[in-house]
Amino acid sequence: MDNSKGTEAQKYVWEGAIPLQIHLHESEVTTLPPPPPALVLAPRIGYLPLLVPQIKPFFNSALPPGVDTVWFEYKGLPLKWYIPTGVLFDLLCAEPERPWNLTVHFRGYPANVLTPCEGEDSVKWSFINSLKEAAYVINGNCKNVMNMSQSDQVELWRSVLNVNLEAYLWVSSKLKLGIAGDEFSVKWNSCVLKSQQSAVETDNTGSVKTGRIPVRLYVYNVNEDFDDLEDAPQIDSWDKISYINRPVEIHGEGKCFTLLDAVKSLLPEFFAEPSLTNEEISEVAGGDEQRLPSEEYGSSPRTTTADVGETSCEHVWSSDVSDTTEIKLLRIQGIEPKLEIPFGWVVNNLMNPEHFLHICVYVRIPEPITI
Amino acid sequence: MASESSNSARKVVVHLRATGDAPILKQANFQIGGTDKFAKVIDFLRRQLHRETLFVYVNSAFSPNPDELVIDLYNNFGFDGKLVVNYACSMAWG
Repeated sequence: MDNSKGTEAQKYVWEGAIPLQIHLHESEVTTLPPPPPALVLAPRIGYLPLLVPQIKPFFNSALPPGVDTVWFEYKGLPLKWYIPTGVLFDLLCAEPERPWNLTVHFRGYPANVLTPCEGEDSVKWSFINSLKEAAYVINGNCKNVMNMSQSDQVELWRSVLNVNLEAYLWVSSKLKLGIAGDEFSVKWNSCVLKSQQSAVETDNTGSVKTGRIPVRLYVYNVNEDFDDLEDAPQIDSWDKISYINRPVEIHGEGKCFTLLDAVKSLLPEFFAEPSLTNEEISEVAGGDEQRLPSEEYGSSPRTTTADVGETSCEHVWSSDVSDTTEIKLLRIQGIEPKLEIPFGWVVNNLMNPEHFLHICVYVRIPEPITI
Repeated sequence: MASESSNSARKVVVHLRATGDAPILKQANFQIGGTDKFAKVIDFLRRQLHRETLFVYVNSAFSPNPDELVIDLYNNFGFDGKLVVNYACSMAWG
């Protein structure tokens, strides 16, 4: 496969955008009639403050005098600007709302909730620091990022700003952050081959390397049960989200390391005893928002994982403990992938440009448990 | 809560190191709860040094997001039983 242009799934992720309908907060409206909402298409991998130059002209004439300190809000919740827009949408709109109705404020920055943001510079700073952090998780240091030439760094940032996947892949390949390399595709392929042929000789990656994958996890703990995602309780405070940064260690050991294995290692407290029933798995996997209808995502993992379960990539489900913890939703880049998918595939195709994989999880805990 | 496992209830030793012309603190090692956010470390330094603008790094390398939990930072980037935090009055590592 020609990696210089990215995989089909990567292209879907980079082309992914959320239609926003942005309203100026009523307290900042000084004109009659109030300005109509701004309609913009926000890239999934982008950040909300980067949209300001686009939306400012819509509201400029209506604003009261003063200095701009722009922030966004969804149903009363100030939005953290350093979280990629797609992740905010996945996390806060259990039932995707299109267009997504956001409120913009140009005054009265809620400094008690949000870290200060001075536009693009702050976002770039946050992005580069996240990239360094990811590099550190992967390599144990971030020399590659720190030693990047100024022009390469600018190029990298521009590729994100302009949502240019090809330019991004070209510059970021210099960083040698292994997870985008072939190691896991090899493993993934061997996994497929093994399942298809039930043969061991195709594997033999021999010395299986252990990879550390940087993951940012957003866990929303819900106490009440709900069947429909639109009945999921609205997130009205960031305190309800556990923001967890734990790397996933991919253990080779000749078997396929799946998304479920990764989730178990990320949230061991929910998997102390096997608690995922087959029923729940299919519930989690049955997302209606399959955005990657490519052959890469749509067919091959699905058809292979069925076989995989019987051969090399065996998982043991327990079907009795269904009344305890339950994963109600697991969403990455707007899709709800099957948990049997090889984690390497998920990382290579669905990670964000700062090399973090962002995973949104709704977990139902019947009653608050203090561990 | 997911963040309140027995693991994250632990205390973390933060080792503070001045960088550049930043004043050196008398006490370099501090204990902080694992479930606290990195913001708490930054606030602590601001108060100690009486400075609004401060650049705070981990391992002389990067500035973590203030929302990150101290225990996550320790597990990911700590060594020798502590998390090394550098602080500077001007940008040290861009």
